[in-house]
Formats: sequence, C-alpha cells, structure tokens
Amino acid sequence: MAGNGGPWGGGSGPDDENRGKDEGRKGGPRRPGEGPQIPEIDELVRKGQEQLRVLMGGRGNRPPSNGGAGGPGPQIFSRQGLALGAMAAAALWAYMSFYTVKPEERSVELFLGEFSAVGNPGLNFAPWPVVKAEIVQVTGERTTEVGAGEAGQMDMGLMLTRDQNIVDIEFQVVWNIEDPAKFLFNLADPEDTIKAVSESAMRDIIARSELAPVLNKDRGRISTDLFAAVQSTLDSYDAGINLVRVNLAKADPPKDVIDAFRQVQAAQQERDKLEKEAEAYANTTTAGARGQAAQLNEEAEAYRAQVINEAQGEASRFLAVYNEYVKAPDVTRKRMYLETMEKVLGGMNKVILDGVEGGQGQGVVPYLPLNELVKPAVPAGGTN
Amino acid sequence: MRAAYILPAIFVLGAVVVSSMFIVDERKKALVMQFGQVKQVVSEPGLGFKIPFIQEVVTYEDRILGLPTQPIEVTPADDRRLVVDAFARWRITDLQQFREAVGVGGEDAARSRLDRIINAAIREVMGGVPSTAVLSEDRTALMNRIRDMARKEAANLGVEVIDVRLTRTDLPEQNLDATFARMRAERQREAADEIARGNEAAQRVRAAADRERVEVTSEARKNAEVIRGEADGERNKIYAEAFGRDPEFFAFTRSLTSYERALQSGNSSIVMSPDSTFFDYLGSDKAPEAKPAP
Repeated sequence: MAGNGGPWGGGSGPDDENRGKDEGRKGGPRRPGEGPQIPEIDELVRKGQEQLRVLMGGRGNRPPSNGGAGGPGPQIFSRQGLALGAMAAAALWAYMSFYTVKPEERSVELFLGEFSAVGNPGLNFAPWPVVKAEIVQVTGERTTEVGAGEAGQMDMGLMLTRDQNIVDIEFQVVWNIEDPAKFLFNLADPEDTIKAVSESAMRDIIARSELAPVLNKDRGRISTDLFAAVQSTLDSYDAGINLVRVNLAKADPPKDVIDAFRQVQAAQQERDKLEKEAEAYANTTTAGARGQAAQLNEEAEAYRAQVINEAQGEASRFLAVYNEYVKAPDVTRKRMYLETMEKVLGGMNKVILDGVEGGQGQGVVPYLPLNELVKPAVPAGGTN
Repeated sequence: MRAAYILPAIFVLGAVVVSSMFIVDERKKALVMQFGQVKQVVSEPGLGFKIPFIQEVVTYEDRILGLPTQPIEVTPADDRRLVVDAFARWRITDLQQFREAVGVGGEDAARSRLDRIINAAIREVMGGVPSTAVLSEDRTALMNRIRDMARKEAANLGVEVIDVRLTRTDLPEQNLDATFARMRAERQREAADEIARGNEAAQRVRAAADRERVEVTSEARKNAEVIRGEADGERNKIYAEAFGRDPEFFAFTRSLTSYERALQSGNSSIVMSPDSTFFDYLGSDKAPEAKPAP
C-alpha cells in the first residue's frame, strides 16, 4: 500500500509491462522496408517503460540489448533504499493516523468531511487523510460571565424590573459539553450563544419580578429558574451543552442609589432602637410605680401600727392608774393634784392676792402691766 | 526526451483528478458554480464530484449562526421609550435562494440584511404594545411575534430565523438619572416611614407606662389612706373603751397632764387667790372646810 502514492494514484504497472512485451514482440520480426525507424521507436518506448518501472516497482529489468543504457540508476532508487523509504512512509502514516484521547476529552471523527464516529478515551485510529479527528475537551467546566463590565455610562449588568426599577446583576454560567458531535456541528459560536441566551433569560426573569423580592429573598428561585430556562433553550438548539450550575454573584441596587438603600436599613435599625428604648422606659416606670405603691402601703401600715400601739399604751397606762385609783380615790386624787401643781406653779411667776373676790371692796385693785408681760395673757387669778 | 514529460504528465493528471473531487465538512454546505451559474447544491457532508477547473465550489456555514443586533430605541404605545437589543439565531436553509439573494456578499451581506429585518420587526411589534407589556409575562409572546415577523421576511433570503430573543429592554441613558432619582426618593420615603413608625410605637409604649404608673400609685395612696383611717378609728375606739370607764377621772388626769405640758416654766405668770385648793394649808394647819367640788 505504501508505495502506491495515494488512493487516486493509478497503479498500473502490470498492464504497462504486458503492453511493453507485446510491442516488443511486434517490433521483433523486422520488415525489411521499415528498417531503422521502428527499432528507434521501439527502443524509446521500452526505455520509457523501464524508467516507469524503476520509479514505481523497483523491478527494473535491464533491457537486453543495452549493456548499460539503463545504467545502475541513482542510488535512491535502489531496492533497499525504496524499502526503507516505504517503511518510513508507513511509519509516518501510522503516526498521523493513530491518536490518543485523554480521559477528559472525546474525539469526533469525520470521514471525508462527514461525521462518522465519536472516539472514546484511549488510542484511536483514523486513517489519514480519509478520516480526520477533532478532539474536544468534554468534562472540563467552562465559565461564561454575564453582567460584568461597562458599556458607556452603563454597567452591563443593569436590568429593568417589572416596577420600572433598576437592579445590578452579575452572574456566571458554568457548563461543559455533553455531546461533542452536537457541540461541534450545530452551533457556530457556542460561547456567544450561551452568553446571549443566559443574559436574555435573566433579563426575562428580572422583568417579571419586582425590585424588593429580587434584592432580598428570591436569589435561589432566580438561579433555579435561570438554570431551567437556559438548559431548555440550549436543548432546543440541540447544542450538546450541559449546564452544571448558575452562580448569582450579585443582585444589588445600582451603585448610584445604593446609599439610599443603606439609609433605609439604617432607618429600620433606628426604629428598632426607638422601640427598645421605649420598652426600657416602660419597664423602669412601672417597676418604680410598683415600688412606690409598696412604700406607701408600708408607710400606712407603719402608721397604723404606731398609732394603735400608742393608743394601746396610753390606754393601758390609764387603766393601770385607774385600777390603783379606785382602791383609794381621795388620797390618790389629792396626791396627784399636789404633785402636778407644785411642778406647774413652781416654774411660774406668781402673785398672790387676798380678797380679790368679794363684794366689800377694801381690797387691792389689781393692776396688770400687761405690756410688760411678753408671754401670752394669763386669765386673772381667782379660781372658784 | 519525452520520458522527461511523463512525470509532469502524471502530476497534471493528479491535479485534474484532485480538482474533480471535493470534500464538504459536516459543518458546511456548498454550491457548485459554473461560470456564475448554480449547478449543484450540496447539503450533505462528504465527498463530492464536479467538472475539474470549469466548476468551482463555494462553501457556506451549515450551523446555526448568531446575530446580535445593535441597541435601538423604540417607542412603545405609552410613549415610554426603551432601548432594546436582541439576539437572533438563524441558519441558511435554501442555499440556492440564499446565493441569489446575497450574491458574493455571502454571510456578511446576509447579516446586515437580517439586522435590518429584525430591527424593523422589533420596532413594529414594540410600537403596538405599552412598555409595561415588555416587563411582564407577555415578553415571551412579544419575542415570538418578532420572530414570526422576521421569519416571513427572511424566507426571501433563503434563511430560516430560528428565534429572536430580546436581551436588553432598558430605559435610555438619559432616563437613567431620572430613574435613579426616583428610586432614591422612594427609599427616602421608606426610611422616613420607618422612623415615624418607630416613634409612634415608642410613644404609645411610653404613654401606657406613664398611665400605669399613675394608676398604681394612686391606688396605693387610696389604700394607704384607708389604712390610716382604720388605724385612727381603732385608736379612738381604744381610747373610748379605756377612758370611758370613768370619764371624770379621765378628765382629771388628762387636765393635769395638760397643765404640766402647757404651763412651762418661764413662759407663764399667774395671779392667784390663796383660796385655791393648793393653798389649803398655807394659812393654817387645820383641815379646810369642805368646799363644793369645783
């Protein structure tokens, strides 16, 4: 096979040889009339065939009439040289026809341009140049980013929500190849397609949402919805692509308004603080009131105890005195009277006048220098 | 020598043979043209044959191609302008028609024509709906309408529009500032609202606490007065029980105590007659005459 020069080369050595022999025989019985010309043509033809044979099969016979016309020929066309060359060509062809596929790859084989087979990891055979193999990395994860970067004044990731607000989204789609043949043959630019499909699906999801859920609660739902939408779209194109996951990196208010959002958060915390302060005040106040109430109560009870005790004390003192009095009333009376009066009169300024009362008028007219008496007025003398 | 011409002759023969065959890759399709005329349409990949030299092969992309459109500003039915761009996917289906439509311009020429077709479809579909329809569940329906419209037009090019998906549907850049200002104002309103609610709640709590305090203390005072009243009543009862045994004796002792307390030394003066009981024995040592009890 090696020496034939390709599938389209004509290998027609044996035929030539036969023809050559025939013509040689024809030329054999020489007609007298045509003498020298026929042998010349004959000679030329045979030489040509000889050279052809030499080139192709290395079986060149030395033409019998020519002692050394064909000559030994150039070295490269000797039998051994050709054999070596054939082996080298075979080796080269083998090198180009066998190829390895690594475990994370697959290969796609094209027979004369037409898809023929998918090659698995290992050593594969694709006879050159009939079959060409293209190797595709299949299991390795590839990432497509959407939303990062800027175009003009606008961040690429700004998206409009249902309530006409704007949110800044950045996300990544991680994918690998499921079917290498479909991947190569169905989409002309798979990377761009994935990016466009993902962006379109995300904008679609955001356009159907309002701002608040996107910022706070719905990240998980958004990722899930996006995953489903993108995968189904790619499947509808038969893209042979398998989505691994979606990372929603950022879902924030645009940076121009993010301060205002932070203010809202600060306000919420302020509100909490106000409410807690009021509660603290309430607790302090009611506790204080209860304390005060207890104190008032205790004071009243203390008063009661004091008053009753005093009364009981006085009463029992009186009764004790009285019990003694009834045993000897006159004596006790006199004694008490005198004891008290001597104390009382002992400390007072006294003036004793005789005969102040009475009708016969010889007495003294009392003259009271009241304005010398600093202390409050005393009723004039006489008792009884 | 003519033998020398054999080699070139072989090469020439080879060239002819090679020129009569061609390979169409899985990813492509081809036209065989003869002097500008389409002779063969090759849609299947593999080996093909043609007349050498006279006929030439022109290849075209067989895969699905993507066409992103430039952002355009559209005016929907409610006059709220939007900036819209889309991503269309298309492929060449009728190769002969394609060639006739775009000539030697090939894919590039097709792209620019498709771009125009799609933009026109976008404008027309968007012009008929309000901007809110774009930001809602109807988005898919709109994309389908655009696609169908573009598909019809593009069929003349021998091209199938597989789908048209809207990517950006944003406000124009001039409106960005206005939208941001509105978003900020809404946030400020929300912040003020939060604080107002906080104050309201705080005030309620404080007022309730004050009221409770007053209630508790006034009740306590009431109870205290009751207790004091009871105590006073009890005291009076005790006194009455005790002193009531002998009111006259009580008057006597109580008066004596009063005299003692009230008439302190140094602050009182008295003018007395020796007739007072105190002076019974002052004038004589005899027992005084019985006097009527004072």
